[in-house]
Amino acid sequence: MSSQSALHSPVPIKEPHNLSERIQRLRDFYFSGIERSWNNEFTCWTTGTPWDVVYDEMTFYIVPETYPFMQPFRASTLQVARQVGLPDDFWSKSLVERRAWFIKEVMVNYLPQEILPGDLLAGARFNILASRCWSEKEAKERDRLIYGSQGSRARMKWFHSHGYGNAGATSGHLIPDHQRALEIGWKGIHQDLEARLNGMSVTERRGPKGAQLRAMLTASTMARDLAARYASRCRELARQQEDEARKAELEQMADQLDRVPWEPAQTFWEAVQALWLNHMLIMADENYPGPGVSFGRIDQLLYPYWSRSIEQGMDREWGKEILKCFWIHANTAYDAMIRVGGNQGITSGYGQLITLSGMGAEGRDLTNDLTYAMLEVIDELSPLLEPKPNVRLHANSPEELLDRLVEMIATSQGAPFLINFDERSMAGLLRQARRAGVEHLIHQDNVFDYAPVGCLENTMVGNDRSGTVDINLNLLKAVELTLTGGKDMHPVVDPITGKTDPVRQDGPATGDPRTFSTWERFWEAYAEQTRHLIARSAEVYEASESIRARFCPTPYLSCLVRGCAEKGLDITQGGPELNFVTVEGVTFATTVDSLLAIKHLVYDTHQTTMDELIRALTDNWKGHEMLQARARYRAPKYGQDNDEADEMAFKVMELWTDETWTYQTRSTGRRFRPGMLSWNYWVSDGDILAASADGRPKGQFLSNAICPSNGADILGPTANSNSVGKALGGRATEGEGDFAGYFNSLPNGASHTITFSSSLLRDREHKEKFKAFLRGYCDNGGTCLQVNMVDVELLKEAQKHPEQYRHLLVRVTGYNAYFTGIGRELQDEIIARESHKQLG
Amino acid sequence: MAKQKTDGDEGLTATVLNLQRMSTEDGPGIRTTVFFKGCSLSCAWCHNPESISPERQVVWNRVHCLCCGTCVALCPQEALVLKDNEIRRDRDRCTLCATCTEQCPTLAMEMLGKTWRLDALVAELLKDRAYFERSGGGVTLSGGDPTYQAEFARALLQRCRALGIHTALDTCGMCNPGVLQRLIEHTDLLLYDLKLINPEQHKRYTGASNRVILDNLLAAADQIRSSRPQARIWIRTPLIPGATALDGNIAGIAAFLVDRLDGLVERWELCAFNNLCTSKYERLGQQWMFADTPLPTAAELDHLHRVAIASGFDASRVAVTGLSRLERARKEQAKSTRRPDPDQPAAPR
Repeated sequence: MSSQSALHSPVPIKEPHNLSERIQRLRDFYFSGIERSWNNEFTCWTTGTPWDVVYDEMTFYIVPETYPFMQPFRASTLQVARQVGLPDDFWSKSLVERRAWFIKEVMVNYLPQEILPGDLLAGARFNILASRCWSEKEAKERDRLIYGSQGSRARMKWFHSHGYGNAGATSGHLIPDHQRALEIGWKGIHQDLEARLNGMSVTERRGPKGAQLRAMLTASTMARDLAARYASRCRELARQQEDEARKAELEQMADQLDRVPWEPAQTFWEAVQALWLNHMLIMADENYPGPGVSFGRIDQLLYPYWSRSIEQGMDREWGKEILKCFWIHANTAYDAMIRVGGNQGITSGYGQLITLSGMGAEGRDLTNDLTYAMLEVIDELSPLLEPKPNVRLHANSPEELLDRLVEMIATSQGAPFLINFDERSMAGLLRQARRAGVEHLIHQDNVFDYAPVGCLENTMVGNDRSGTVDINLNLLKAVELTLTGGKDMHPVVDPITGKTDPVRQDGPATGDPRTFSTWERFWEAYAEQTRHLIARSAEVYEASESIRARFCPTPYLSCLVRGCAEKGLDITQGGPELNFVTVEGVTFATTVDSLLAIKHLVYDTHQTTMDELIRALTDNWKGHEMLQARARYRAPKYGQDNDEADEMAFKVMELWTDETWTYQTRSTGRRFRPGMLSWNYWVSDGDILAASADGRPKGQFLSNAICPSNGADILGPTANSNSVGKALGGRATEGEGDFAGYFNSLPNGASHTITFSSSLLRDREHKEKFKAFLRGYCDNGGTCLQVNMVDVELLKEAQKHPEQYRHLLVRVTGYNAYFTGIGRELQDEIIARESHKQLG
Repeated sequence: MAKQKTDGDEGLTATVLNLQRMSTEDGPGIRTTVFFKGCSLSCAWCHNPESISPERQVVWNRVHCLCCGTCVALCPQEALVLKDNEIRRDRDRCTLCATCTEQCPTLAMEMLGKTWRLDALVAELLKDRAYFERSGGGVTLSGGDPTYQAEFARALLQRCRALGIHTALDTCGMCNPGVLQRLIEHTDLLLYDLKLINPEQHKRYTGASNRVILDNLLAAADQIRSSRPQARIWIRTPLIPGATALDGNIAGIAAFLVDRLDGLVERWELCAFNNLCTSKYERLGQQWMFADTPLPTAAELDHLHRVAIASGFDASRVAVTGLSRLERARKEQAKSTRRPDPDQPAAPR
């Protein structure tokens, strides 16, 4: 961006507008937080056995902040759990059947069914922690696998404290087959399951497949029975209601709940009602408040109902009113731990993602009136975190859509949505099809049906669990291990016990790098350590994945994912047609820049020796400031559109992604695939990983996802984006690439954030330039862009007076966060990143 | 159009101060601006003082310096001294050999001006081709003044146009008429500076009368009318307090544009004075007469805008750009918590 400044005023904080009294009231109620008379915080439910467990830690293995609390959570949640009366034959059933029954019993017969004043949708409480329904024997066996010295917890903690990253079988992060559930209703799903069960042989029926299908049959009536409860509640409220208009609404809601979600949805209101209940019960089934439980292309999914209802006379604003209720409902997921204060955005990582617009068959654009209506809802309610929107752009995206997006970006504190880029994304998914041999499931004729989950993690829809946040691997650890010949650079000290782990030969003994006479020799050793890293992550992951497959079925969710009923396998056991585990590469730019610095300083220009460099890193650069400066300023950096540096980025990318494809889980047969999303790990793991050769001391942040290192991005957004595109594989000079001339090594996609100065959008002319930038990004850039558009003064003001800026939203590595709710270091980081200013 | 000889252009080199990627202020669309070194004027308010000299220059950036003494120890001419945490350079001894700037660990010793070969520069510019094409942008030659390295500038413009890239030439117009004519042959947009309408005042503030500049502009207009009807002209006037930001001057320029250029000017940009470049003067070891001049207020800018329009120039074609004082005052306040800003090298006019 030109440093020539422009007349502009700071972006005002976005205020909601065009809200009816109903929505304003619901929104204000939501934002009153713990003051609320009603909330959706976890309630706990137990079978009453002394060995019962209601808190399953494994789904939080990827949230290191929770590690110290796992034991207290387990104990306290059981303590507050209320007992559910069990039928006599409960313990004679299989685990999956027990669990299906238990969840349904809690949701239908124990949780109260409530309707907030004025609300147009039923389905309020859903955050539960329910008994895992283990028998004593099962509980003991599972505890042995978790807590033993080689148990999943010890492995996971070792992996994290030694700087490798984190890994765990996590819930959510998929797009269920909502289309089928709306089109044939639960009745249709129920009939299908019945037919399958009846089609089984007697032996099969007695075995695990029979148990699975019986459990799914139970689960498939949960929404029907819950809807019936809500229908009664609506009628009860209608009877007490004096306002005629509200009475009519409640009566209509009751009538609708008599039909959906059991019967196919007929109208828009019914479809949204059914969708909400179906979605909310997934969160209940998984005991997990929403992260990554995504809706897919919701403007396509709901469009037939929208257009039919509009034709039948539904007022467009009324349709939006229904949607706004849906938006408020999605935000109540956050109530799960409403009394626990959030730090570093931990409470902001939910991501019930919706996808808008995007390409259809033959490159046709699929933007429709509902796309625009939903953008209006987002704008009018803004700022509100959930459901998180991701807008898909491609070469044929209409000008009108871009105009609308840029207008929204200009008037909020940054894009109130993520922007996904179809061509690059689809190239990655087609590569995935080829690498994993699933070309019958992902191909040219359906790849455009993809949608992101969580933030930007691209998956197929309705048949795909890709574990998109399950393994988060610090690629940088391989550089450290290369410099030490396979050992930690520093002994690891447990921050709580103070106990020191002796330094061991954890990685392959690749030799003393002081004896490597060439860069190629160093690279070979680095490649070997990278392979070790991935092998290690696969082992750690296997521990929790195999336990989940044995002990943590989710039969309700399994009903909504194609492949589970067909195979008679739960989604946690590899039931879906598409089964992947995504390894999210973290610290990419720090890794690339470190390798570039080693090559440049030691091998190319001989400005230092390997010995001196290793000593400097061991000393955390203290007393080696000149060498540190050379590493920072003299070595090439990724992110500056420098072909030499970007080739290194591509080489690093090729190495780790190629290796990733070679793994699959033993217990469930899920294939590994690569991606780049770093949630907040790039911040916290900066304290764990040793100093790096790019000049970063221990304790300083690592690089975020596929973004260049902080301070390296000095040539502006176009250079930055070009580097990202090149790291992913760039464009084909001849031939077709993976799709339409694009290459993409990361089928999951890669998070890319650019912060722009707000002056860039100050007038019509500059907005046009920004639109053109987005189109250019589509040609040259990555899979997903987040636009931060903040004024640095505004942020500093918010830091000083957080009470006045409660609604100020910023984007942090793929998710939205309230600026005042995140930690001070992250706030400083965001301020430092403002507008591509070089950091000294 | 006369056929230009292009053989041998490959070997041409130029001294370039900086390339500005994703420039949104130097013509239409998204552009890469090439700042050439060397200018035939020396305007008292110049915002890019490092671009005036055609020679490469060594500067020392205090905020980046570790005071490690590397440069002092390595200087073959012994032209550098480190005293009181400050590097002093004996300009007479220094031969611009670049040892210090190449060896400084932190880039605190910096060489202003890089020698680019034509082919390498074109390849660098092409990196943003996708953005040029999507935005109707392209390449802008600025400086300094591109006419100061005319042969290279001509070759660069010609090469870019041959590749289908939109070209803009940002010039003060103080050059041989033949030079400008040859450049305009390959220019899609002429960004032309008119600073002061009064010749004496012009000489006082820029070191030269404006006679050549005005004549060149009229000749350029004739050339564009007759042989380059697709080309456009934008006029730029810096609003310098007490010097150019005077009613009479703005009205005079407006009158000239209305009387002599007859609707040919597509846009007239009034660019507000700013003092972001104060530290550049310090680094160059120069005094700047505007160092303590405050930014114009929004009201002052608004007033000059009205003067420009009142003089008969098409209101829809006048644009005011830049920072006003109110804005700046708030930034100053915020500065107390911010480390000194290593300001970027290119803030043209």
